[in-house]
Amino acid sequence: MATDAPTDGGQSLAARVRARFEGPNTIGNSNGFWVGFLVAVAALVAFPLVGNAEQFSLFLVLSLLGLSLSVVWGYTGVLSFGQVVFFGLGGYTFAVVSINFATPGGITAAVLAGVVGGGLGAAVLGYFMFYGGVRDVYVTIITLVATMVLHTFMAQTAGSEWTIGEAALGGFNGMPDIPLLKLGVGAASFQFMYNAIPVWVPGFGTVELDPFYYLALVLLVGTYLGLRALVNSDYGRAMVAVREDEDRTRMFGYNVKRIKLVVFILGGALAGLSGVLYAARNVFIDPTVFTLLFATLPVIWVSVGGRKSLLGAIIATIAIEYIRVTLGGELALVMLGALLLGTILFLPNGIVPWVHRLARQNRPAPADAEGPETPDPTEASES
Amino acid sequence: MVNGINLALQFLDSFAFIVLAAAGLAIIFGIMGVINLAHGEFILVGAYATTLSATKLGLPLAAAMLVGTLVTAAFGVVVERFIISGAVPNWIGQETVGRNLVEPLYDRLADSMVATFGLSLIMVQGARVVFGNSIDTVGTPFGNIAYGAFSYSTYRIVLSGVSIALLVGVYYIFTKTEYGMTARATIQDEETARALGVDTERIYMATFAIGSGLAGLTGALFAPTLSMQPTLGDQFLVEAFVAVVVGGPSVVLGTALSGGVLGAIQAVFTNLYGTFFGRIALLAAAMVALRFLPDGITGFIEAVQSRRQEGQ
Amino acid sequence: MSESETESESRPLGPNVRQTAAEMATGDRTDTLLQTDGLVKRFGGFTATDDVDFGVAAGELRCLIGPNGAGKSTLLKLITGTYEASEGHIYYDGHDITDLEPHERVQRGISMKFQVPSVYGDLSVRENARLPIQRFADGAERNERVDRAIEAAGLTGYEHVDASALSHGQQQQLEIGMAASLEPDLLLLDEPVAGLDVAEREAIAERVTRLNEEEGIAFVVIEHDTDFVASIADEVTVLHNGEVFREGPIEEVKADPAVQRIYLGEEE
Repeated sequence: MATDAPTDGGQSLAARVRARFEGPNTIGNSNGFWVGFLVAVAALVAFPLVGNAEQFSLFLVLSLLGLSLSVVWGYTGVLSFGQVVFFGLGGYTFAVVSINFATPGGITAAVLAGVVGGGLGAAVLGYFMFYGGVRDVYVTIITLVATMVLHTFMAQTAGSEWTIGEAALGGFNGMPDIPLLKLGVGAASFQFMYNAIPVWVPGFGTVELDPFYYLALVLLVGTYLGLRALVNSDYGRAMVAVREDEDRTRMFGYNVKRIKLVVFILGGALAGLSGVLYAARNVFIDPTVFTLLFATLPVIWVSVGGRKSLLGAIIATIAIEYIRVTLGGELALVMLGALLLGTILFLPNGIVPWVHRLARQNRPAPADAEGPETPDPTEASES
Repeated sequence: MVNGINLALQFLDSFAFIVLAAAGLAIIFGIMGVINLAHGEFILVGAYATTLSATKLGLPLAAAMLVGTLVTAAFGVVVERFIISGAVPNWIGQETVGRNLVEPLYDRLADSMVATFGLSLIMVQGARVVFGNSIDTVGTPFGNIAYGAFSYSTYRIVLSGVSIALLVGVYYIFTKTEYGMTARATIQDEETARALGVDTERIYMATFAIGSGLAGLTGALFAPTLSMQPTLGDQFLVEAFVAVVVGGPSVVLGTALSGGVLGAIQAVFTNLYGTFFGRIALLAAAMVALRFLPDGITGFIEAVQSRRQEGQ
Repeated sequence: MSESETESESRPLGPNVRQTAAEMATGDRTDTLLQTDGLVKRFGGFTATDDVDFGVAAGELRCLIGPNGAGKSTLLKLITGTYEASEGHIYYDGHDITDLEPHERVQRGISMKFQVPSVYGDLSVRENARLPIQRFADGAERNERVDRAIEAAGLTGYEHVDASALSHGQQQQLEIGMAASLEPDLLLLDEPVAGLDVAEREAIAERVTRLNEEEGIAFVVIEHDTDFVASIADEVTVLHNGEVFREGPIEEVKADPAVQRIYLGEEE
């Protein structure tokens, strides 16, 4: 419990640090969970040795987009169909800035510009909506319409007059000449795209590893942990209170409009970061990121994964995108549609929380007993 | 002078398009509190059924349109029973494990959006799998009108007239028929309606059927002018959606007014800057409208009228 | 939370408001904490609150009664800012708060318990109790206050139970506790004993009285139960058709034949 005094005298530093990441707002607060988490991260680190890291890095990048919606929708109750607006803004901003300043320093600045672009877009739209008193489903509708506006707008930027500096926006054809991702300044820079680092691994000999994959992985794990700490903090509790009952939370002295705006901006910046990495990875961006289908994908991932669960968002994004890419074509979309329909009807809280609940029910004694805020097993409570 | 005619025709075009696209959705949203994001695909069903009836069964166009409308209405009933109200899955659940499996989607605006989007994915790709990437079209009847150096499809002018007739028809249904009265009572207060013996389930089923039928009619009417692809519903969805929400609680007046206002804005901007910007202007106007008139145009009108009555 | 200013400091009250405040001054209750001036609220064609001048002194325990639809809940929501006034002003602690947002009014010392019990169902009792407190207290002080709030609500031992699993009476106690934990100067309660049995009602009556006498919190309580009202109220305000119909000690008001008539629906 962040900033609550420990109830017993003096916990160890490790226990206090760990307590920041645990709480009722996230799944998994036991030793078993963290062990499993470390195993999973280790597996992801080792993955490029046995699997297609290039393809997988896309799923890691998209997971950031899923997380952005999880924070905004799952934790603050704002269903935004517009996360892709900020994703696209991030990607396009990155493209424009990096094409114009194709030096490592310029590209690094372009990354920041993309994140800021996403956040700024969210600030404008969020202010317009929340400080205008727009509520609930009308927020969803306005974000959906905003996506359509951007799609229509970017699609008609085909003419040569739609050029910022050296960068032509390209209309339906998109922007193909994005420079390879190089971070740093001048000589102290490192190329992440289309770069293969030879590393000697015991048992595998010398393998060529893709640094972009590891960049995406580090950013994803870092973001996950950061968000975990956020939602388990005082501010996170306020976010959840806003989701549960806005009016009541207002009556406890919370500035609900500001909370929604701040979280929305955070979500926009995160989506922007995802967009930057997406554009960097594909070395390309076009208006398909603003289509209705793409706008709904994050909603699908988060609905299926469990909207109140950060981990669920990540797992669902990776799983669904993997299946979608593997199946391909119409079959994938039918599957997606069926999955979405089935989840909303039968498991409205998502799959990962349902699995988690089943797993806990089947344990002889709840393994979460030592967690800080989980229900006492002898009291009547939900599992 | 000619530009004035162009503008007028563009306006009629936009108006008809918006009204016809939105009517079915407005009824479902207004009465059941469900946002049907598969609305475009219901229009698809109507369009395809009409086209196939005309090309494969050789029916005359008017009869084919009737078939298209009825097929879509029937399809709507199926969707309502299986997905919106969950009646069929719950019946299965009761018979097998003794409990309900799903909650109805009424008044669950966000959930209904997401669930029906899932449905639309299935429908579009299903259509692609069954019918391929496109099917043969039906020609546009009635030819063209010429004025000055321009010509304009007569059929599209006819559609404007149809859209007005449609509004009148829906108004009649909701004010003069028993179904209409009961449906409006149910919107006002479902519990009371039920206590008075109204079978609210039937009302919802009938309403969804009517809304679907209207979507089918739209598909049928526009079928001669569109290329028959599984994605044809996309072009209707957003405009329909936006018009319904901007229109507000009154189904007929709301749809008419938002069709008029948004249609006018779209026509003007299309005339000056091209179709892309016409669309952008429409969408931007909708966002502004939702921000300042959260109850839609008719909601705002109701508030103003009452304030006038108070002698303000 | 801020303390009430004494009346000797000049306050931006309108002329007729000062008059009303003076009218209400009896004995030691000379500090007007809350005063509405010509408050009006319309919903479309319906006037829910009609030119209401309503005042509460610091530390007073006022009950708001009247037939259903009289506008009692509306008046409370106007005071908290949940509803925006169509016309009129609201003065609190010497300031015009008419244009303030609800959370700003709460930060100045107004607190409310809603009519429909709405604890955060999925959160535990402790998590519920912590939410209002975490905004202004940290560390050990926070834990203490949360413990006290839970104890005052009679829910020691239920700390980790989900709030939705509590009985109705327990939820009401929890909600009152949460509202009181903000240490307000004015606490608004909308039907705190609806649906409770006699013992639970007495417990709440006792709690409200204690908070009023020991902590000096002013109350405005909407309730229909006349016994409950009689056991706690200093004064009673009767609302009818959105207007203030009568005001005064409960015995007088109860005996007033006009009041009895409006309850029977015969007065217009």
